Amino acid sequence: MAALRTAHPAVLRGALRLYIRAPGPPASAVGLRCVSDAAPQDQTGVPSESTEEYKFVERLVPPSRVPAPPPRAGPSPSGWTPPADAPPPLAYTVRRSRMHNIPVYTDTTHGSRRTTLVRKVEGDIWALERDVKQHLKEVMGTEPPTQVNEVTMTLKVKGHVDSELKEWLVSKGF
Amino acid sequence: MSFPKKPASKALGILQNLPRISLANLRPEPGAKKAETRRGRGQHGGNRSGRGHKGERQRGTRPRLGFVGGQTPFYLAIPKYGYNEGHSRRPQYQPLSLRRLQYLIDLGRVDPTHPVDLTQLVNARGVTVQPLKRDYGVQLVDEGADIFSAKINIEVQRASEGAVAAIERNGGVITTSYYDPISLGILIKPVPFFLRGQPIPKRMLPGEDMVRYYTDAESRGYLADPEKIQQARLALALKYGYTLPDISKDELYHMLSMRKDVRQIFFGLAPGWVVSMPEKKILKPTDEKLLKYYRS
Repeated sequence: MAALRTAHPAVLRGALRLYIRAPGPPASAVGLRCVSDAAPQDQTGVPSESTEEYKFVERLVPPSRVPAPPPRAGPSPSGWTPPADAPPPLAYTVRRSRMHNIPVYTDTTHGSRRTTLVRKVEGDIWALERDVKQHLKEVMGTEPPTQVNEVTMTLKVKGHVDSELKEWLVSKGF
Repeated sequence: MSFPKKPASKALGILQNLPRISLANLRPEPGAKKAETRRGRGQHGGNRSGRGHKGERQRGTRPRLGFVGGQTPFYLAIPKYGYNEGHSRRPQYQPLSLRRLQYLIDLGRVDPTHPVDLTQLVNARGVTVQPLKRDYGVQLVDEGADIFSAKINIEVQRASEGAVAAIERNGGVITTSYYDPISLGILIKPVPFFLRGQPIPKRMLPGEDMVRYYTDAESRGYLADPEKIQQARLALALKYGYTLPDISKDELYHMLSMRKDVRQIFFGLAPGWVVSMPEKKILKPTDEKLLKYYRS
């Protein structure tokens, strides 16, 4: 079934011709004949069973867990970078999301209120806040207001700074 | 109020040492709640309350939106034209950029060592297709063509020329094929279909309006002539300025040349077969009429 099949328009027309049935006996007679002649036991209708092609079915089943990305060193063509093997020696960590990405998200409220959220922080979140403020001052020139939520361990920054923060976190090795 | 100044638990420290929070000891931040202006309550019993002076404005009897005093309004003077006629019945194709496809391959969600199908893309949670919303499949968009560098055998429903060029430049194979809405529903969710216990149906051929696209070699249609497709590959390589790699000498040539039959929905499974998932068996018909029907 995996063979190449050329289907010229002529072949298509031939396939369609099979559906044009020749005029046969009227439908009522055909129905009666089927009912009266059918034997109670099955004659040729027993299907054959096979387990060899079941491997093709197994390939169609969707995985229930997120697969681990193949190991690589350095950024991939799409820009994704794996985390460093050893966690960096800092007072805080930023874990990867379950899809193996950096957990920095942007939000826009009221059409013009832009915020960036850094989630999944563990450890000393205030040290992370200090480092983020210092890095953004170097990169952007201004220190945007930030909000630390110790209960959910998240850091909110005013403005859309997700690309800067993602690059910085990747460079740190998170 | 005294609370221990631990480096990372100021909020918890405050909460532990303060009395219980209740409605009696909560107050909004000064300046957070601004008293609203109530109209008509000013000096001397209020004034016009922001409604103006007499007329329809003050009395609230203005005519409907679009009324222009009796002259034929704009929305009636302009003649109708069917720009959006039947818009809800037009076939739609969910876009998939090459950049997203590259991202899925890099994260290991799509396996490039097997032919990539719409089932594989949906299993990887890369695209979401809704056949009940007139989606007829997925279309490849050439955003990210410059960073795309994977050699895959991919089958989509539509593809832009730039996307085709990007895939063939990396030594891959792209085919566009048609799935009628029932076959599409089965293709994206194979397991619920197998649990129904029905035989795999034949994939229907495209209708009049789509036959032209799928018999065209330029769009790599599955009904097109393979020789014309090869010529189209060379022509596209010349147009976009890259050398077409020879896939016949590739080690994955067998995988890259795998293509589904015109009436086949899944690789390796023919129409007419019933899949029994609890028993892990496949039941194939033996009656000649059925075999003739499913082979046509």
